[in-house]
Amino acid sequence: MVNDNKTKILQVKDLKTYFFTENGIVKAVDGVDFEIYQGETLGLVGESGCGKSVTAFSIVKLLDYPGKTVGGQVFFRGEDLLKKNEKQMRQIRGKEISLIFQEPMTSLNPVFTIGFQITEALKVHYKISKPKAQEKAVQLLKKVDIPIPEQRINEYPHQLSGGMRQRAMIAMALACDPVLLIADEPTTSLDVTIQAQILELMKTLLKEFNSSLIMITHDLGVIAEIADRIAVMYAGKIVEYTDTRSIFYNPLHPYTYGLLTSIPRLDMDIEKLDSIPGLVPDPLHFPEGCKFHPRCPFATAKCRKEEPVLKEVENKHLVRCWHFEKVKEEAKKIAFTGRLAVSE
Amino acid sequence: MNRIVKKLLSNTTSLIGLILLFVFVIIAVFAPIIAPPLFSDPYQIPRMSWDTEPQPPGFPLSDDMIFIYESMGEPIIRDKAIFGTAQGGYDIFYGLIWGTRTAFRIGIVTVVFSMLIGVILGSIAAYFGGWLDELLMRITDIFLSIPFLVAAMVLTTILGRGLDKVMIALVFFGWMGYARVIRGSILCAKEDVYVMAARALGVKDYSIIVRHLLPNTIFPVMVQASMNIGSMVITAAALSFLGVGAPLGYADWGQMVSFARNWIIGSPGHAGEYWYAVFFPAVFIVLFVLSWNLVGDTLRDIMDPRLRGEL
Repeated sequence: MVNDNKTKILQVKDLKTYFFTENGIVKAVDGVDFEIYQGETLGLVGESGCGKSVTAFSIVKLLDYPGKTVGGQVFFRGEDLLKKNEKQMRQIRGKEISLIFQEPMTSLNPVFTIGFQITEALKVHYKISKPKAQEKAVQLLKKVDIPIPEQRINEYPHQLSGGMRQRAMIAMALACDPVLLIADEPTTSLDVTIQAQILELMKTLLKEFNSSLIMITHDLGVIAEIADRIAVMYAGKIVEYTDTRSIFYNPLHPYTYGLLTSIPRLDMDIEKLDSIPGLVPDPLHFPEGCKFHPRCPFATAKCRKEEPVLKEVENKHLVRCWHFEKVKEEAKKIAFTGRLAVSE
Repeated sequence: MNRIVKKLLSNTTSLIGLILLFVFVIIAVFAPIIAPPLFSDPYQIPRMSWDTEPQPPGFPLSDDMIFIYESMGEPIIRDKAIFGTAQGGYDIFYGLIWGTRTAFRIGIVTVVFSMLIGVILGSIAAYFGGWLDELLMRITDIFLSIPFLVAAMVLTTILGRGLDKVMIALVFFGWMGYARVIRGSILCAKEDVYVMAARALGVKDYSIIVRHLLPNTIFPVMVQASMNIGSMVITAAALSFLGVGAPLGYADWGQMVSFARNWIIGSPGHAGEYWYAVFFPAVFIVLFVLSWNLVGDTLRDIMDPRLRGEL
């Protein structure tokens, strides 16, 4: 579902965010490009430490010392956010770009009521009277399917369950009708049934508000559910970038392929789950050449020396690999055996 | 908040502390009735005689003094020193009653101001971090490395005698503890996602510190403050005892102890002859400090997260 006719909301160009630590420079995000259109959901997928959260925080410039965005451009509705100062950014954060966080337990302030926290965004960005803000908070809570919202707005976070709190967080994020939402693993700490509810809710609300979403997750199941397009990240770089269907049915990067084979499947009779061998490389000492080569079953001498570039190899399917054809063939075999297992 | 009040009232030690504190408040408030002033400045302790050595409890107003008051046209309201007199004929009872006001003033004013300085510096250091944190905390370390009493003495000596000078000195060298405590708890609290969430909503740094972080972190500081009110009074008394505190004759407990300095042992053959000159001021100081410590102790217990569920 790549929509060229829709308006481009966000375009990230060659974003580079480094952490200047005492032990050296950590290139957490090293040249990331992607774009998001109105009403579209982009999935940022990768292991812990691959730079997906740092990418998100770089966009809204919420990175703390020693992290620093050293290069690139982030065009949000035609304006480069990286050129804006802190005051201008404050006006954008929460109003036009909102964040939803991973931990609903700690992302609400324990000393304030839910109502106070939802109305805070309204109070920061608009001159709005207290009763009006309260009214709006009740409406928002209703939108996120919280029962008896009139009562809930006077309750404290500890009186709410995890799922409720995440709903309240979503209500907070939506308070000012943002154009872009960034959700950093919003369902990770919830149990599976609640996860499904929250995802369903987010889908409905995105449609209603016509907002775009960057969904950061390591869970391919979640991403399949909600994303239109997916960017797979590894070691600070995007390694594969295409629509959701192609990622699952036609993976071209060995890392994506590895991730897919390590998902437990109900439709296949597998005794041992595959995993990607090795560990995420130490960000201070990335390997030469392709950063994935030490863990890659397809690696050759070329991979050890030369780093591949991200290029379009099929229609709107970008990949950063020398051997994507081999991966394609291998992936086809798996899909084939998968179907076999089902038919047996 | 309700829980804290309930706990304070149900705990025996804190109840004793609260009752003692209440008594002191009563004394301070009703000082003009308990010990009616003889001069236009009520903090000036009246003298019962010109005697150099202390006089025992029940000592009557001397004839010299009656003559002076009569010639001044002042009515003679009190004719006995209930707790005796200190050296120079100063009425101990009067000094202690009016000294209670002084004690509250010293304790509360110094603690409030040093807490304010400490909280501002500590929270700025913790929230912004980096070189600012480094700078502010090194300044704190420098202040901490100076011996408190000696520094306060030197500063009071430079500024000159007087209670306000004592308080300035106490604030100037007394804020570091608060800065450290609040820095620690903010460093811990600012890692919580709600701080990031507030920033992501576009809330200003100042509002994040004041509205989001301080309500979550101020309590340990309050506990420390309540304990420090007592120790500030002791330090002020120590300064007065050393002669750099309140001016001569000013109603201040330190002054009362200072008056007793030469008479602690008693006279040859009569050990402890002037016990009352030491005993009564000491009782007031000890009970006052004790009451604050008991209350502070219970506050700390209430705040201890490990005990939180049980209380």
